[in-house]
Amino acid sequence: MVSGEPNDIHDMDPDEFRDRVHSFEFWFEAVRGYLSDKPYGHRPDLEEEPMEPSERDQLVTVLCNYALGETAALEGASGLVAIAPNRATKLFLATQVVDEARHLEVLLHRLGELGVEDPEGEIERRASPHLSEFRSELLNLVAGKDWEAAIFAQNVVLEAMEFSVFQRHAQNADPITREILIGIIKDERRHIGFGENELGRRLKAAPHNLARLSEVRRRLDPMVLGSFKDVSAEIGLPSSESPELGRSYLSAVERLGFGT
Amino acid sequence: MGDFLSMYSIQHWLESCPQGYLEGTEYGHPPSDKEPELVLEDDVLREGAIRTTVQLVVGERCALSASSGLINAAPDDPSRRFLATQTLDEARHVEIFTQRLFDLGVKKNELEDVIQQYANPNLVKFAEILLEKVDKKDFVAGVVGQNIVLEGMAFSVFEMLHQGNQSANPKFAHTLSGTIADERRHVGFGEGRIGSLIREQPEKKPEVEKMQKDMAYFMLATFADSFRAGQAEVERERAREKMGEQGAGPAQWQGRDLSTMDPEEMEGLLADTVLKEFKTRLGRIGIEYQTPERP
Repeated sequence: MVSGEPNDIHDMDPDEFRDRVHSFEFWFEAVRGYLSDKPYGHRPDLEEEPMEPSERDQLVTVLCNYALGETAALEGASGLVAIAPNRATKLFLATQVVDEARHLEVLLHRLGELGVEDPEGEIERRASPHLSEFRSELLNLVAGKDWEAAIFAQNVVLEAMEFSVFQRHAQNADPITREILIGIIKDERRHIGFGENELGRRLKAAPHNLARLSEVRRRLDPMVLGSFKDVSAEIGLPSSESPELGRSYLSAVERLGFGT
Repeated sequence: MGDFLSMYSIQHWLESCPQGYLEGTEYGHPPSDKEPELVLEDDVLREGAIRTTVQLVVGERCALSASSGLINAAPDDPSRRFLATQTLDEARHVEIFTQRLFDLGVKKNELEDVIQQYANPNLVKFAEILLEKVDKKDFVAGVVGQNIVLEGMAFSVFEMLHQGNQSANPKFAHTLSGTIADERRHVGFGEGRIGSLIREQPEKKPEVEKMQKDMAYFMLATFADSFRAGQAEVERERAREKMGEQGAGPAQWQGRDLSTMDPEEMEGLLADTVLKEFKTRLGRIGIEYQTPERP
């Protein structure tokens, strides 16, 4: 925890990735820069931007769905610790567990800042049915102890979905929400890097699994694209741009080698 | 419950642990700390240090599996978030004790074989009892087993090791001091969260009490193996001789000087301390302590 800033993990070779990234030490170095002066994900002196009641309501709906996504990610990552194939992977997933729990906590805190008194109830009321379906499917894959499929659903599909939405939303979000999202996006990059590295090595050793994972993707895509549709209007995306979000997700997944 | 759990948030954890007592450390100790030469150069002491550290790795691996496994069994979000911090704490403990094995000369490709060779079978059974509850998603039994019994044992063992090593091996003592601070938080959560659940589900008591009794038996059996084996006496004598040469001072714990005690006295002191703690903590959450058989 005293060494310098870590390299960009996406530039590391697979062996260096395994040696360095799968550790508490690396995690702490990675997060300290962007968390140390931001309790609950944003600088305490950032001022709340005035919002119309309808804008506030839209933001609450969006944040409720983000919180649902992060709950799925927390449940998925914690379940994956038990089925991880080796100790180093368990250590990385433990860091991911705390990242996802932090995301959930900062989003719940943000809902509180926006005046939501019962976040649990609001999340239940405003949850996208497609996202709820995705959560169940992810947890089924984890419960079925299918390591490749579960890590694909969690660290490729879910993380790429969140990455695409958060990045787009951060462009026109209020300053507090933007700062929170930027912190979360930095974690998501690390998680996607892990998924890419882990599955990349496994698929190299067993290429026949690609067809199986592409099938999982075909099952999950409608849930992801449906979730986008459910929230895109709420994040101020004009309907003409809504398919752009889907394309951004699809190209992110395809870049990782998981074509349809 | 809300106020109690706010003390166990991620934010609180970030400020008190990684940004607090771990700040400036590397694998749990100041980067300049090294294992003492007398341990590295003496085969008896080095093997003893490896054997002890393997038990810590085994215990922490169990704690990592248990805390991550309990997240999806937790009845509320704040408990899930606390268990997320505990998961990372336990992963850190696995990492720092594993690193100590490397520092003691264990090669990376030999790690699992060394752990297999030295892991105490009674400690493995102790862990299995807990992990069976976790596999069944039994939150109440899992948290009592993990945060009261396992963490309670770890807390006292770490404290004793910490006191015994402060003068002789500051690196190991520093490593332990961070884990002790973590364990204190984990035990606090167990006591604070489970009391209300036990009141809501009194029918769980007999099963939880039986688990505590079984786990306590295997804990005592682990202590017996560690302190009564002939090797323990040899290590103790060698350590005394070397520490004497180095002029190491007394090591006080629970009002006794560890440096002058023989292994069986230490076993008795450790067992009595842990069992007394169990009784007190279980009483606070409404569980009747069950006296285990003595191995």
